[in-house]
Amino acid sequence: MKLWQKASILCGTVLLAVVAACSALLLRYAQGSILDLARTQVAEKQRALTASFTQMTDYYLLDTDPASVRDSLVGYCFSRFADESSVLLRDSETLFTLQTLSPAEHLSPDELTDEIQVLPVRDGSQHLFIAGSRAKIGGESYAVYTVRDVSDVYRSVKTMTGVFVLISLAGVAIGTLLIILLMGRGARPMARLAAAARRIAGGDYGFRAEVSGHDEVGALAADFNTMAAAVQSRINELSDTARRQELFIGGVTHEFKTPLASMLLHVQLLRSANMSAEERDRSLARIEDQCRWLERLTQTLLKLLTLRQDVPLQPVPAAELIDQVRASSEPRLAALGVTLYTDHDGGMLLINPELMRSLLVNLVDNAAKSYDPGDPDAAVWLTVRDGALEVLDRGRGIPPEALPHIFEPFYMADKSRSKKQGGSGLGLALVQAVADAHGARLEVTSAPEKGTTVRVLLKLQDDYKKLIDSPPASVQE
Amino acid sequence: MSGIMLVDRFPKEIITVKNRILIVEDDEGIASAVALNMQFVGYDYTLFDDGRRAAESLAADHAYDLALLDIMLPGMDGFELFGYMEKYAIPVIYMTAKTDSASEIKGLRDGAEDYIVKPFDMLTLMVRIEKVLRRTGKLNTIYRVRDVEVNSETRSVTKGGEPVELQPMEFDVLLLLLKYKNLTVTREQFLAEVWGADFMGETRAIDMKIAGLRKKLDLADAIRSIPKRGYRLEDR
Repeated sequence: MKLWQKASILCGTVLLAVVAACSALLLRYAQGSILDLARTQVAEKQRALTASFTQMTDYYLLDTDPASVRDSLVGYCFSRFADESSVLLRDSETLFTLQTLSPAEHLSPDELTDEIQVLPVRDGSQHLFIAGSRAKIGGESYAVYTVRDVSDVYRSVKTMTGVFVLISLAGVAIGTLLIILLMGRGARPMARLAAAARRIAGGDYGFRAEVSGHDEVGALAADFNTMAAAVQSRINELSDTARRQELFIGGVTHEFKTPLASMLLHVQLLRSANMSAEERDRSLARIEDQCRWLERLTQTLLKLLTLRQDVPLQPVPAAELIDQVRASSEPRLAALGVTLYTDHDGGMLLINPELMRSLLVNLVDNAAKSYDPGDPDAAVWLTVRDGALEVLDRGRGIPPEALPHIFEPFYMADKSRSKKQGGSGLGLALVQAVADAHGARLEVTSAPEKGTTVRVLLKLQDDYKKLIDSPPASVQE
Repeated sequence: MSGIMLVDRFPKEIITVKNRILIVEDDEGIASAVALNMQFVGYDYTLFDDGRRAAESLAADHAYDLALLDIMLPGMDGFELFGYMEKYAIPVIYMTAKTDSASEIKGLRDGAEDYIVKPFDMLTLMVRIEKVLRRTGKLNTIYRVRDVEVNSETRSVTKGGEPVELQPMEFDVLLLLLKYKNLTVTREQFLAEVWGADFMGETRAIDMKIAGLRKKLDLADAIRSIPKRGYRLEDR
């Protein structure tokens, strides 16, 4: 059973109880006050009756009259004021009555005093009020009764009870219906939220719950959406990582399979074909090339894999780093006929020197390869300033559509040229990995036929800034 | 009528024309090995290392019996290139390092004749090429070595224009040597192809057929025995 249905039933039950209790109290009060009124009326009537006939009797009765005359006169006077409700007794003798009921049986004449007593009596199906008092006339004491049938009061209370029950039930029914409607309406945003949760659980991570109103449900829906967004972005991140890894593995496989396929074919040729010495030499040279290439690829892959772990950083003077890069790049640059210009601010860098060197060598190498062979103006500029390392060339540049992909493993903007120049497709992926290991940001600007600038922006930590301001004695020299 | 006229006018060219194969492969190592192999066994080939250039060349020359296409190519990928091949009704065998089934299905559904995954065996490639050429009816049935001419359809052999009688098995051995001209045919290959896979006999049977061929066709120096492996028909 749903929460709102439970709440509706609870509310309905409480409503019913409250209405029932109120009705009962009201009826009881009404009955009480009507009966009180009846009691007062009976007493009043009794008083009036007693006073009237006593006065009249006193007026006519003479002290000399014998008891029989007195009784007759009392009876006569009483009858003048009495009606069917009045009863008059002397001792146990009834002097006047029109009643079938004998009030003395319920209210004994012996108990009567001058004060009027009113006694409620139930006789069979009849409810009665019996008022009784004594009247002293000529030294004799008479018992005066007034009987009032109040059965109709009880009857009308009974009828009213029935009506009240009907009205209450109708009220409760209408009330409960309204409660159900309101509750159901109030529960609708919850149901929508639940539906949204199910939909998201079903894999539609982009789905969001509708936020309506500023109540708790609205706040819950908003929080729920925040949570869904967090989950979605995490899932996207994970699937992105998984996709990248898949691409990477696919790339590695492809890069291994191609040279292996080539080597296998050449080995088969060497084993079985009728080759000239020259052809044999060429085939062997190819196999050697492929072996070397695989070796390089393996080395790079190994470097990439080790980079997944934390790398130790140390303060290194910019000048020292530049010297190392120059030493590593020089032979290759000389072979390509490219000049390397360097400049630095004489500061310190918090880096891993080997990795940063391989990053810069990679960038310098790429920059050098961006010139057509034999270009007399071919040059690469390497600048280190304010924690930013910059490699600049004025070569052929990177096509705009290739720019977003250049750091992806095995991405080659011009595959055939890269291969001829000995590119593995992993150079810039390695650059990216080294930058990541340093928490550094890479910035590339390039225009076709104008050249390319790659900037490595090192993370400027507080202690690192301090280091730049006041280099420790050990590395100052 | 015109066919006969053609035969009359260019009898030799018509029957000795080599199967022409288009190779589009950007990896130099693989391309050179495959090309060398084609050359050895007697196929003519044209090699491209760029998909677009290969496609553009078709306008001028598309008389190929078969195309061997890499899938990941610079310029234009193999699948796109296939459209051009289809236009000129050139059957296609893909050579690729892509092993995922999705691309295989795509390649074959598009109507490629076959699909070979790198790294592959040269012999496997040769067998598939032959199969495709046979299926498309383009397989050259005339083989030549020196003055010996063999017709694999009519199973007739002539030497210097004169018919030579060969035993059926001798003929099969000779045909295998011709198919893999300049390549070593191993004893296992001979047994499997000529005698059938379930032949339990000795490999000396092969030596006897070879001896017969050498004598009947005067090919003693052309059919070279490769120690421990088999025989090679050398013609270059």
